[in-house]
Amino acid sequence: MTFHLGYGTNGFANHRLDDALRVIADLGYTAVALTLDHDHLDPYADDLPKRVDHVAGLLDRLGLRSVVETGARYLLDPIRKHYPTLVCDSPDRRVDFLNRALRVAEGLGADCVSFWSGIKPSDVDDSVAWRRMLDGIALVLDEAEVRGVPLGLEPEPGMFVQHLSDALRLREELGAPRLFGITLDVGHCVAVEPVDAATCIRRAADLLVNVQLDDMRTGVHEHLEFGEGELDLPATLAALSEVGYTGVAAVELPRHSHAAPVVASRAFAALRGACVAREHVATEPVVRAEPASDSEWVSDVDHPWLVEAEQKVRRDPASIASLFPAVGRKVGREPLRPETDPQGLVHGTVDDLARMRLLSVLAEVLEPEPLAEELSKLYRYGDDAERRGVLRGLTVLTSVPAGLELVKDALRTNDIRLVAAAMGEFAGRHLDDHNWRHGVLKCLFVGVPLAAVSDVDERADAELLRMVGDYAEERRAAGRTVPADAVTLLEARA
Amino acid sequence: MRIFDPHIHMSSRTTDDYEAMFAAGVRALVEPAFWLGQPRTSVASFTDYFDSLIGWERFRAAQFGIRHHCTIALNPKEANDPRCREVLDVLPRYLAKDGVVAVGEVGYDSMTPEEDEVFARQLKLAISHELPALVHTPHRDKLAGTRRTLDVVKESGIDPGRVIVDHLNEPTVGVVAESGCWMGFSIYPDTKMDEQRMVAILQRYGTDRMIVNSAADWGRSDPLKTYRTGLAMLDAGFGESDVDKVLWQNPVAFYGQSDRLVLDELPGFAASAETFAGNSVLRGGGNT
Repeated sequence: MTFHLGYGTNGFANHRLDDALRVIADLGYTAVALTLDHDHLDPYADDLPKRVDHVAGLLDRLGLRSVVETGARYLLDPIRKHYPTLVCDSPDRRVDFLNRALRVAEGLGADCVSFWSGIKPSDVDDSVAWRRMLDGIALVLDEAEVRGVPLGLEPEPGMFVQHLSDALRLREELGAPRLFGITLDVGHCVAVEPVDAATCIRRAADLLVNVQLDDMRTGVHEHLEFGEGELDLPATLAALSEVGYTGVAAVELPRHSHAAPVVASRAFAALRGACVAREHVATEPVVRAEPASDSEWVSDVDHPWLVEAEQKVRRDPASIASLFPAVGRKVGREPLRPETDPQGLVHGTVDDLARMRLLSVLAEVLEPEPLAEELSKLYRYGDDAERRGVLRGLTVLTSVPAGLELVKDALRTNDIRLVAAAMGEFAGRHLDDHNWRHGVLKCLFVGVPLAAVSDVDERADAELLRMVGDYAEERRAAGRTVPADAVTLLEARA
Repeated sequence: MRIFDPHIHMSSRTTDDYEAMFAAGVRALVEPAFWLGQPRTSVASFTDYFDSLIGWERFRAAQFGIRHHCTIALNPKEANDPRCREVLDVLPRYLAKDGVVAVGEVGYDSMTPEEDEVFARQLKLAISHELPALVHTPHRDKLAGTRRTLDVVKESGIDPGRVIVDHLNEPTVGVVAESGCWMGFSIYPDTKMDEQRMVAILQRYGTDRMIVNSAADWGRSDPLKTYRTGLAMLDAGFGESDVDKVLWQNPVAFYGQSDRLVLDELPGFAASAETFAGNSVLRGGGNT
């Protein structure tokens, strides 16, 4: 599994937060969705920084990854549930609350802050509410940029933004900000979406920053335990793996606090069962019957060979040396998003994803030093595809120097697929400014879309813009066109 | 005419060649590992070369719409050099790779005891890695060398249907035809075979197990000799389907035994001008 199973603290409303976290971790969950509330890390407490430090330390000790949720019912107004919202007449306190949540998330090292639109007041028309959403989100995005914490807009049944398509459209209208992601509740998909949860997951794909897990029935917004509704849990979890989701997927049962430990234990058993079922079901290659549309992608990553290969690596880490070269022959080599990324430069290929999954397993069973050695060997003795797989999987490394060696080697090549893979998340995080700038320039030079490069918005500095400007000038002097990505980059910072 | 060139050393050729080959109908090829034209002095020089055969050269070919595969081996000439022989230990690692469709070129150069040993050992590798073998026949003392080659093949236990004996000519084709091995012919401007003599051999021996290649390298050679042989066949009265059999179906059948041939059209290649615009190889820059 590529993602982290968690549980929402709003399902532990009758527990002290520390107790809730311990129970959740003891049950086997590795993540938590933390709803800020009056008795759970109150963002209006005088000693908030101290409390945040305390919870951050506890999460760390318990090995829990986290996301911050902002759906508390009476935190801002003791009479009116969820009030004020982003779409009401005076949303200032909501914006202030979301900004506080971002600061808390930064302190906790949480993945993101989730939020929803709120219910549209009856006297507000749609265009006004839409405008208020755009304005409100823009204000919160400013703080998100400062904190470096992504936001996840959650479509919520009955609220103004209730469908995934609305959330995606809002994002587009805001210019697709890097820190604007999607939180998806898979139960909501069953209740109100026109397509199933797995399809919604594929649609949101790499915009997903947070996932909530629960069951529901069509047309009824009631959070149910798994098995009580219509959700296809194995297919939903498989879709998360398939899109390469690596974040938190936490159970969302806010009306079950009265029996939280028992319910959480049952949910965990159901999730484990669904994972086993998924591996069991995957004795046939996963081939979707419906025709590919623009939101679909090709994937055979739950190919039985891969599932078996993951088990082999877990049992015998050295077996990865012989499995790694065979991946393309066994699971395929198609780009993950053939329509928008025919060469797989931005999103990678099916074999890239399969190799990343093998590396994730390897990282779970090897200590940091042998892991770094094995990755270096896989790269050194790998063909182009294997090297790409290693580069895309470098984030499993804790040894930064070993990873940087490989990134720099790849950036010396002229194979655009290697260059693209080298400029991913690991380079974004660890490559020094000078080499990173040259990597970006090389992408422009050899035709790698900048969408393949991580952290461009964050890391583009004056020196990079100077280099890109000079390059554009050189192209113009030769009577050649300037790459569109270079123009966009220069204009955005003009 | 669709062409699979089953023996061509593209690392020694230019992008003009790739363009001309694509225009002539070449859609796939095999690049056997061989001598560099001057002796190597270490194993590292081999591994860098092999890395290029399974990486950079494949990428380069793909940009011109051509599927690139290779064969990996220690060549007979350098089998005599103790500084190079250790490369045998790293071969298994390469024989597991996607683009590697055979063990080769193996065989004889001067027919020394060292060559005997390295040849036999590499045929064993072919068997254990379930790969076909590409066997080079010597330039000097060719008929005796070819006979000895067939003896070693027989002793090794490898299925002759999984062996191609290459660089054949009029004196050597007969013994190979009898052995059950595939017959390879390199069509050259002045040495080895030419198109007309090749057509005569096809008329005499038929088209079964017959494979024609350009074997173009850094010497005087022509990457379009496969295409020209196809034209010569048509001129001599062979049908389109005979040409397709010799220039496409036969090499595909032989190397297809590796289960590693990838022959589907390169994605997006029809629109190569847009898709690959700005790529450094197509643009001719190499020093980014």
